[in-house]
Amino acid sequence: MTRETIALKIKRQDAPGAKPYWNVFKLPSLPHANVISCLQEIQRNPVTADGKTVTPVTWDCNCLEEVCGSCTMRINGRVRQACTALVDILEDPIVLEPMSKFPVVRDLQVDRSRMFENLRKIKGWIEIDGSYDIGEGPVFPEKIREKAYALSQCMTCGCCLEACPQFTLTNDFMGAATFSQVRYFNLHPTGAMNKEERLEAVMKSGGIADCGNAQVCVEVCPKKIPLTESIAEIGRETTLQLLKNLVLK
Amino acid sequence: MSKLTKEDLHFFLLKLHSLTGIVPIGIFLAFHLAINSLRTVGVHQYQFSIDLINNLPFLFGIEVLFIYVPLLLHSALGFYVTFAGRMNVRRYPYYRNWMYTLQRITGAIVFAFLVYHMGTTVVPKIYYGKELFDAAPFLIDAMNREFQTWGGRILYLAGIFSAAFHFANGLWGFCVSWGMIVGPSAQRNASVVFLLFGLVLGLLGAATVVEFSLHPVPVAPSFTG
Ligand code: HEM
Ligand code: SF4
Ligand code: SF4
Ligand code: FES
Repeated sequence: MTRETIALKIKRQDAPGAKPYWNVFKLPSLPHANVISCLQEIQRNPVTADGKTVTPVTWDCNCLEEVCGSCTMRINGRVRQACTALVDILEDPIVLEPMSKFPVVRDLQVDRSRMFENLRKIKGWIEIDGSYDIGEGPVFPEKIREKAYALSQCMTCGCCLEACPQFTLTNDFMGAATFSQVRYFNLHPTGAMNKEERLEAVMKSGGIADCGNAQVCVEVCPKKIPLTESIAEIGRETTLQLLKNLVLK
Repeated sequence: MSKLTKEDLHFFLLKLHSLTGIVPIGIFLAFHLAINSLRTVGVHQYQFSIDLINNLPFLFGIEVLFIYVPLLLHSALGFYVTFAGRMNVRRYPYYRNWMYTLQRITGAIVFAFLVYHMGTTVVPKIYYGKELFDAAPFLIDAMNREFQTWGGRILYLAGIFSAAFHFANGLWGFCVSWGMIVGPSAQRNASVVFLLFGLVLGLLGAATVVEFSLHPVPVAPSFTG
């Protein structure tokens, strides 16, 4: 597809809670451009299609190779990373919006702290240091390591939450990424030592029982993480934990 | 178990919602549709099934404990769950997202239908004191009238197919939420099996509707036992 120019229609917001508005920018269409390079172009010359000079559009990005997750936004309505959104294969005009399930900081930047809070709640780490030596870690069986590797690729980008019908700006649902991380850390032989705490952290309001199995999360995850398998697996383990808590504790 | 907090209660109630959808409501629905389809075999068999149910000891207690209370609980929590989320199938039109959306829509349809269905059967039955062997002629008469109009037929078909779908797809959701079907291909296969099961339930119900529409039962005065 050869296009002379490309239009970017961007939903903007000056501050948290401010009223959003739209700006349209027209750029020369360069080969191999991606959405971030277009945003950089706008930063250099922040003039709208109707000739008004405006404040440059702000966005987040870091790795530029779809591993950090920070550039996640809605592009032509669909949530994805801006750095790997190639302009050549996008429909013109390109509509950019911030994610709708996280509070907007400014323009295309959102605050994803909710995801990090949730990782804290589920102890999204492996405990190693104590006040005493806990010794060498157990062997990590290869079959399990393979499974864990797939789950380890989560970059906390938020796509799975943005697209989830059960996850809203105002409720307390934890969402697919969090459940998958419970599975990830529980698969680790050392991490398994805190297995019950992690399971119990998702057996609460906003936890695993709030998932409605719409399975949109797995469709939109850029890392192709088997999220629905994680959800069912954690569903199974929390069910067993519930029985254990009722009968044995 | 240690002290039950509000957060634990939330989890517990959602599990209960999930469970009540199967036991007892789903089981009841399956038996209800299957037993009613005896109508297609013969009036006698049909009347006998109603007589049998209406002569159960502690019938009212059984109905309240095993049907009305779980149904009210499941419905209240079902609406709560529905309004906690925001459907987005237009933006993300995937198969399972359609199922998620239909699960909520059919839940609401079933609720409306049940208000009507119970309001025109059990409520007047109890109000007019049609107990034991008086119940069958009373109920069959009500059904006869229901299926004389297209409005009644369509209403019942919509209610039956919504309930059958809701139960079948709910069965799938239950098996996923409780961790009985985990991998993607297990989930896909189960989805086919459960939907076929739903179709069978729906067809059993539809056959009963057709039978009533084509051959209304002349209600014979029943003997009083
Ligand atoms: C009366 C009004 C009803 C409403 C409003 C309602 C609502 C709902 C909703 C919203 C769900 C989805 C829960 C989730 O996926 O997280 C659900 C699940 C379910 N419902 Fe209902 N429902 C109703 C009646 C029924 C009836 C009559 C049956 C019996 C056939 C039934 C059986 C189920 C089952 C088996 C589930 C699956 C539970 C799970 O996902 O684990 N429901 N219901
Ligand atoms: S699970 Fe996938 S979509 Fe969700 S945050 Fe992780 S990488 Fe992003
Ligand atoms: S399965 Fe559906 S409800 Fe559950 S986390 Fe994924 S998108 Fe959300
Ligand atoms: S900049 Fe890191 S994912 Fe796009």
